[in-house]
Amino acid sequence: MKKRVIISIKYVVLALIALLFLLPIVYMLANSLMPSDEITKAYTNSPGHYADFHLIPDNFSLEQYYQAFLRRPEFLNLFWNSVIITVPIVIIQTLVSIFAAFAFTKLKFPFRDALFFIFIILLIMPSWVTMVPNYMMIQRLGLLDTIWALILPSAFTAFGVCLLRQYMRYVPDETIEAARIDGASTLKILFRIVLPQVKGGIAALMILTFIDNWNMVEQVVIYISDKDKYPLSVALSNYAATDTGVIFACGVIFMIPPLLLYLYHSKEFKNSKL
Amino acid sequence: MKLKTKQAWTGFLFALPALIGVFVFYLIPFIISIYNGFTIQDRFVGFTNFAALIKSNTFWLAMKNTAIFSIIAIPLAVIIPLLISLFLATFDKHTSFFSSLFLSPMIVPIASVVYVWQIFFADYGVVNNILKNFGIDPVSFFKGPWSMALVIIIFVWKNCAYNIILFSAGLRKIPKEVKEPARLDGANRFQVLRKITLPLLRPTTFFVILLTIISSFKIFREVYLLYGQYPDEHLYMIQHFMNNNFYNLNYPRLSAASILLSIVIIVIMLVFFRFERRSSL
Repeated sequence: MKKRVIISIKYVVLALIALLFLLPIVYMLANSLMPSDEITKAYTNSPGHYADFHLIPDNFSLEQYYQAFLRRPEFLNLFWNSVIITVPIVIIQTLVSIFAAFAFTKLKFPFRDALFFIFIILLIMPSWVTMVPNYMMIQRLGLLDTIWALILPSAFTAFGVCLLRQYMRYVPDETIEAARIDGASTLKILFRIVLPQVKGGIAALMILTFIDNWNMVEQVVIYISDKDKYPLSVALSNYAATDTGVIFACGVIFMIPPLLLYLYHSKEFKNSKL
Repeated sequence: MKLKTKQAWTGFLFALPALIGVFVFYLIPFIISIYNGFTIQDRFVGFTNFAALIKSNTFWLAMKNTAIFSIIAIPLAVIIPLLISLFLATFDKHTSFFSSLFLSPMIVPIASVVYVWQIFFADYGVVNNILKNFGIDPVSFFKGPWSMALVIIIFVWKNCAYNIILFSAGLRKIPKEVKEPARLDGANRFQVLRKITLPLLRPTTFFVILLTIISSFKIFREVYLLYGQYPDEHLYMIQHFMNNNFYNLNYPRLSAASILLSIVIIVIMLVFFRFERRSSL
């Protein structure tokens, strides 16, 4: 009996913690189902008038979604900007990192450890250090104000190589040696033997890289001056000032790609050991 | 011998795309910026740029705010997830449903929830409404020192997620056989935690701290989306300082700052790695 009470209390605590994490998201979802004028009325700030906690819509409506999808072509344009920046970064980063991490972990070549040390240093460097060299190269290549200024430096960060190397270290050398003695090529060893064992790592890399770049801000405000090229991660905050009525639905739509990617990989991601 | 050379070539070839990217976008231009840091319009000026940087008040304001943020936010974003995962580990049944829920702050883009934060924490927002009902004076989260508190809350909220997953995975790896003899010998839960669980969790903790430090460098995103390019002086951080110099096209100062800051980061990391090595012996 006593044990049962303790277990129920523990579940209540667990639910409260979950609520704390979920509240802003649930609030966004609930508010995205309100008509625009309800939003404007609820949150127009005037001194002396406090905003209420307004979770349940008075009137259920899909107006915000209708507006975002059909009435605001610029919204879909900005969404598309986010896609064409993030997807190439994830693809390049994943491919390049698979090969490099394999080379740095399982193949021997001169200066290997010294070269990998550069990656470790780079991994810990914040954007406020790396953006100066990045900017210089982007400018010399004439890529300022193009999406390549956002894609190329972010696609070649050290994160993928360092992360995948952590996973590949656990692949036993004996299996690789055995395959080599059987005459398998290095490429075959990588794709047939190593990759199946580091699926969790690749899932983690793709999810984390996608989320990181889907949220890109600091590079955008420096490298891009044409606001039509801004990804939603930056442009959406401008909506809060001008278009309060659709902001929640836009936020929900913007959340869907990372959510789908996560759900697709969630099992491998959560079970990925490191 | 021949096999070895062949492997060396393959290894080098496989690493080449990553190496080219790192050299072209990071290493070579960084070396050029070392040159820029010591020159003004191609004239060697010694440490002039560095002296100007160190004399600049805004630079120290940015350093101070970044330090305050890191010293408070990073420990919180490590300790709270550790406590939650220890709590999750006390459940007999699988709690993977809940740990999925805990991940959601990480998956939801920052820009999506910014407006919710604004509604909650505005001067006449929901939080102040609640405070008022309890008879507490309203707090201004968008001006003054409390703005830092809001940014720390958001950082912890967002970063708990992944850290819980990492800690839970680390806890699962500790075999029951290690803990049970101690329990049988009469050690209480707290002793087991302190003497067995936490030391065995050290590699995970180290990794979590490292990742949290790296993500603390990205706090500019939240600050920018909530407060715009020119935030309250309590939130003026290093990225803001750099951005202002980008806008003024002040390359000598940018280069000097980039060199100086990279040295600071390397020193902090050396201390961190040294500490980790000593504590794990």
